Amino acid sequence: MTDKIPVTVLTGYLGAGKTTLLNRILTEDHGKRYAVIVNEFGEIGIDNDLVVGADEDVFEMNNGCVCCTVRGDLIRVVAGLMKRQRPGKPAFDAIIVETTGLADPGPVAQTFFVDEDVKAKTQLDSVTALVDAKHVMARLDDSKEAREQVAFADRIILNKVDLVDEAELVAVEARLRRLNPLAPITRAERANVPLDQVLGLGGFDLGRILDINPEFANPAHGEHGHVHDEHCGHDHHDHDHDHDHAHDHHHGARGHAHEDDIKGISLSLDRPMDGTRFTAWLDRLLGEQGQNILRAKGIIDVNGEDRRLVFQAVHMILEGDLQKPWGANERRWSRAVFIGRELDEAALRAGFEACAA
Amino acid sequence: MRTSNFDAQITAIVFDAEGAIFALGDGSVRFEGGEFSAAHDGAILCAVAHPSGDGVITGGDDGRLIWHRRTDAGVLATSARGQWIDAVDASAESGLIAFSAGKILTVLDAKDAGFRRDFQHEHTVSGVAFEPKGRRIATSTYGGAALWFARIAEQRPTFLKWAGSHTAVTFSPDGTFVVTAMQDSQLHGWRLKDQKNLRMGGYPSKVRAMSFLSNGQLLATSGAQGAVLWPFVGANGPMGREATEIGFDEGSLVALVASQPKHGVLAAGLSDGRVWLADPAGQGLNFLKADRGAPITALAMSADATRVAWADEDGNAGVAEA
Repeated sequence: MTDKIPVTVLTGYLGAGKTTLLNRILTEDHGKRYAVIVNEFGEIGIDNDLVVGADEDVFEMNNGCVCCTVRGDLIRVVAGLMKRQRPGKPAFDAIIVETTGLADPGPVAQTFFVDEDVKAKTQLDSVTALVDAKHVMARLDDSKEAREQVAFADRIILNKVDLVDEAELVAVEARLRRLNPLAPITRAERANVPLDQVLGLGGFDLGRILDINPEFANPAHGEHGHVHDEHCGHDHHDHDHDHDHAHDHHHGARGHAHEDDIKGISLSLDRPMDGTRFTAWLDRLLGEQGQNILRAKGIIDVNGEDRRLVFQAVHMILEGDLQKPWGANERRWSRAVFIGRELDEAALRAGFEACAA
Repeated sequence: MRTSNFDAQITAIVFDAEGAIFALGDGSVRFEGGEFSAAHDGAILCAVAHPSGDGVITGGDDGRLIWHRRTDAGVLATSARGQWIDAVDASAESGLIAFSAGKILTVLDAKDAGFRRDFQHEHTVSGVAFEPKGRRIATSTYGGAALWFARIAEQRPTFLKWAGSHTAVTFSPDGTFVVTAMQDSQLHGWRLKDQKNLRMGGYPSKVRAMSFLSNGQLLATSGAQGAVLWPFVGANGPMGREATEIGFDEGSLVALVASQPKHGVLAAGLSDGRVWLADPAGQGLNFLKADRGAPITALAMSADATRVAWADEDGNAGVAEA
């Protein structure tokens, strides 16, 4: 009947600005209608006629596999919401799921891949983590959930940047980037983010995983070597900072580097890979360490194949497909990013490189 | 056969004493005779025939439980904080009505407007079913099923434990077994006298519908390429016995089944839009709707098993003589 409904997940702890962002999304003049799933029903301050409460009920499947853990409340609420939909006259265009700071984003995302009914009707678009520039460092120190939410995200919105100085922002961004090298960081005040940086990102869409640049690994704002790109999400003249000065901070931030239990590992290889060997390696890796791998994405140059192999994974759930052909003048290379807990970088790199054809 | 098309999804169909009643995703109720009721502000999530045999009781995402008759409609109850009413059942035997919203099961008496019981669960309730005499109620939740006495105000339920998420519940017609459908494509059952577990698996898909027929000797379910029939004969029910499958078709799934406990015919609605009727003891399928189309999303059989009504995902609905 209708196309699959896109779902955007907003994570972030209390006070990070989720309600402000939600209201911006809902009240902006875009002609779209959204259904909003919030964690606490009857929560005040959300300006929408289709707000549904969920319970953050995490369901373990009977087979005991942690990676099949889903959010039962989301299955129930999505099924109920779909009853309002009708052909040609949809009751809403997208679903936004708001989670609490205590929510584990894994089961939220897995629900959209594991449950057959939810999968048939909806498509997970992206996970956006909202963090508050002033308090995020302390949160990351004391909360495993805060680290996981950042590590899991397709985009990180660094909110309330007006409350801290540039040096602090640089340190925060450096730490966020170590936790998650895949997600662009958007700076914001009072959650003033352009909506196209939250909605319609296609974070799980293999066809849109076009560019993963581990070597580039853009340093954070203000750090030496930062390249302003379309992901910065701010006016460049806003902070006409001194690069030399920032360079000092760069060392400062490293000097007090927070060694988080979660980190992103970027791998790349300039030779073609053996498709069979790579697939076997990836399957085994996710099978053995999938519990600790929050997200993974990669673009692989397969020996003897004109199209690029693109994959993305959430814990043990892997999706991969051959996507568009390499261009004639395009640099053919393989790159992948694994974000997770207690990952052995040397072993991952050795395993990745051993897949060379 | 009579067909119609509605511009909203049909979320449930029930038969009352007079005919088929369609409950819709736009909150309206359409009677087979053309009468119309639009009392909900939102989608209807669940429906059951009123214990009196006159009209339908619907639960909505507006948190209201409404009794619609051909001439009028009235609110029977509302949920706390307007929470969605996810499941409803009613018993003609006891005249009681039970519905769930969030973690709360509420019991009403159709003949006593002042009667109301609210029972709290640890997890959200997914399904509600009266035992055949209408004096006890089973609910399905995460981690198992709870058994409540319908009228007693202060009580602790008997909790039938089984790990996993249970998504629907039913009683066997003799009241000796409780069966749930589970998130991971299987059924689970308990023999009530000793809480012995029954595991009924092997489904390729989630089970959306369970229905007893043939004097309670068979439990029919959806969720496979054919309708799956579990034998409930003797004290052991299906323990140690095999299920049978009728109407197997590799190209489609049975999305829903409907039957009546006292009668020996089974209706099935398929994922490819077809609807058939069969006598499990006999041969062959009688296709009530042979045209393929959108998946069947609602199916019901009248109490005397003479009529079957269905609806598909595109809002097409039909009623046929069995």
